[in-house]
Amino acid sequence: MDLLIPIFVTLVGAASPILIAALGELVVEKAGVLNLGVEGMMLVGAIAGFAAQFYTGNPYFALVCGAAAGVAVSLIFGVLTLSLSTNQTATGLALTIFGTGLSALAGAPFSARPVQLMAPLFPPELATHPIWRVIFGYAAPVYFSLIMVFVLWYFLKKTRSGLILRAVGENDLSAHSIGYSVVGVRYAAVAFGGAMAGIAGACFPLLLTPQWAERMTAGRGWIAVALVVFASWRPFRLLAGAYLFGLVMTMELYAKAGSGPLSAIPSELWAALPYLATIAVLVLISLRRDGSTNAPACLGKPFMPSN
Amino acid sequence: MPFRLEKRPEPSRTMLYLTPAAAVLLTMIVGAIIFSAIGYNGLGAVREIFFTPLTNSYKWQDLGVKAAPLIIIGVGLSIAYRANVWNIGAEGQYIVGGLAGTWVALATYSMSGPWILPLMILAGVVGGMLYAAIPAFLKTRLNVNEILTSLMLTYASVQLIYYLIRAPWKDPMGMGFPQTRLFAESARLPTIIPGTIVHLGVPIAIIVALVAWFIMSRSVFGYQMRVVGTAPHAARYGGFSENKTIWLALLVSGGLAGLAGVLEVAGPFQRMVPGFPANYGFTAIIVAFLGRLNPLGVIFAGIVLAITFVGGEVAQTTIGLPNAATGIFQSMMLFFLLAGDLLVRYRIRRTAVQPSRSAA
Repeated sequence: MDLLIPIFVTLVGAASPILIAALGELVVEKAGVLNLGVEGMMLVGAIAGFAAQFYTGNPYFALVCGAAAGVAVSLIFGVLTLSLSTNQTATGLALTIFGTGLSALAGAPFSARPVQLMAPLFPPELATHPIWRVIFGYAAPVYFSLIMVFVLWYFLKKTRSGLILRAVGENDLSAHSIGYSVVGVRYAAVAFGGAMAGIAGACFPLLLTPQWAERMTAGRGWIAVALVVFASWRPFRLLAGAYLFGLVMTMELYAKAGSGPLSAIPSELWAALPYLATIAVLVLISLRRDGSTNAPACLGKPFMPSN
Repeated sequence: MPFRLEKRPEPSRTMLYLTPAAAVLLTMIVGAIIFSAIGYNGLGAVREIFFTPLTNSYKWQDLGVKAAPLIIIGVGLSIAYRANVWNIGAEGQYIVGGLAGTWVALATYSMSGPWILPLMILAGVVGGMLYAAIPAFLKTRLNVNEILTSLMLTYASVQLIYYLIRAPWKDPMGMGFPQTRLFAESARLPTIIPGTIVHLGVPIAIIVALVAWFIMSRSVFGYQMRVVGTAPHAARYGGFSENKTIWLALLVSGGLAGLAGVLEVAGPFQRMVPGFPANYGFTAIIVAFLGRLNPLGVIFAGIVLAITFVGGEVAQTTIGLPNAATGIFQSMMLFFLLAGDLLVRYRIRRTAVQPSRSAA
């Protein structure tokens, strides 16, 4: 117990940013759009959140700034793919390259300057006992991610708007012909994905390492994209996948800290493990699949009504 | 609306070749405005990044050396993307190619002879191919998305460098620095113009592009790659196997990325260092698109992107522009190019003046 509780608490902290970004991408993909720019949007959110925290010290304001920055760059992707019908794969890659450059440029003045980590949401008296720490020991984004799992599940499964969003992703021509604005719905989804990726990025300086470093999201945005495939586009499965990755990353932290059987393995292998695990889960899901992939039918295809 | 879009019966060839030039031009204009707006010398940035490398003859050799890996990798990616195979892990294949070459160089450290360099190059190509074979296998056998696997392998390969140069391959005389020893004379890529840094990789890049252009435009292989990419149903009907195309696309692009890697480690670096991954594999994605997925276009695009690399370094020292600005200019180019694709497929027509208006 003495070891398990801190491991679980660290795991949840490491998993939450990935979960938030992946939930955003899930909604985008459900609307039929493949945005591979998650990593870039996260980096832009990370530097916006960092700068806001640096100047104001208000982590909630920092999260809002991260979200706003994520939305702003996601709209570049939106205009190109939705209004100009560009190739989504190439545009998403371009967005990631752009976000990497933009965040590095904006972050250059901030290198090696620390900020305050975000404090847990609940008063520390509630989390004195180890068991209570598991429930009350986290900062607000962790609870936000859990609430969003439920909210998005409900939205997609039970609401009319969710049904329209899924219709747009499954059969854009039919949705168009019964009068829904395919492009409008997709813009909204892309902007939502941008906001979630921005918040996820802002979590890196606010929850994990309280400073700015170039490329500090280290491929977590791509892992989020892979998790959506792993989860077969289902929010609760996304939760399980993200926590699995949280566990892998926590093991890396413990191995690097030194003692125990874990430290016998080279630290570089631990650092590579999240990426290798991503490949492993993609392989696993493909083995388990019985024919149907559950991917939205219009995923990645530009909307071309024959007018 | 005074304008409307009209679908062209056939993609416009003029626009196909005009839009890359327009994208570069627009990047300069918009880049100058944006960088001025955020407090930098915007015009100076554009001058230093796009023109100084061309006007200053001392920078020409830098251009060649930077363009060579971009062209070699870009040619491979252009072939893969033609076939709709999204290998975006060229950076990883470049790294493994460089590591495979390093392995040969270290194993033959005490030997000499003209056979060492060809052996290294062979190892580099094979290394890149093997690393690209993983996403090919997973894609063809298990239908696992090659974008994600090839990219994840890139992140993993960076850790492989760190491990190898920290432990088994570490230079014993390196005073603790994580790097390999300097390669022996036989394992270094010779320069082709005495007194410069222009190495053998530069002509190799041009030859690779020319050969690829010939193969892609004149052979059944090239035809197969193009047909599978543009019309998969017709390709299946014509007897071209989709799986075989995926394998070929990944092996060719991976092998060329590996070639670029081994040339880079044997040429400019002459040892394996932590800074070996220089983003060539990612920038080559832009090169492939800017070159219109055509090996000859890739030569020009590779030079353009090399200019921004060299110019970015110049702007850093002369006007204090952060190095990250280069990446912004490069991705803006890709954004504008992708947006310009609209003009390849559609034409802008002025809508006719409505007759009712003249009647009234």
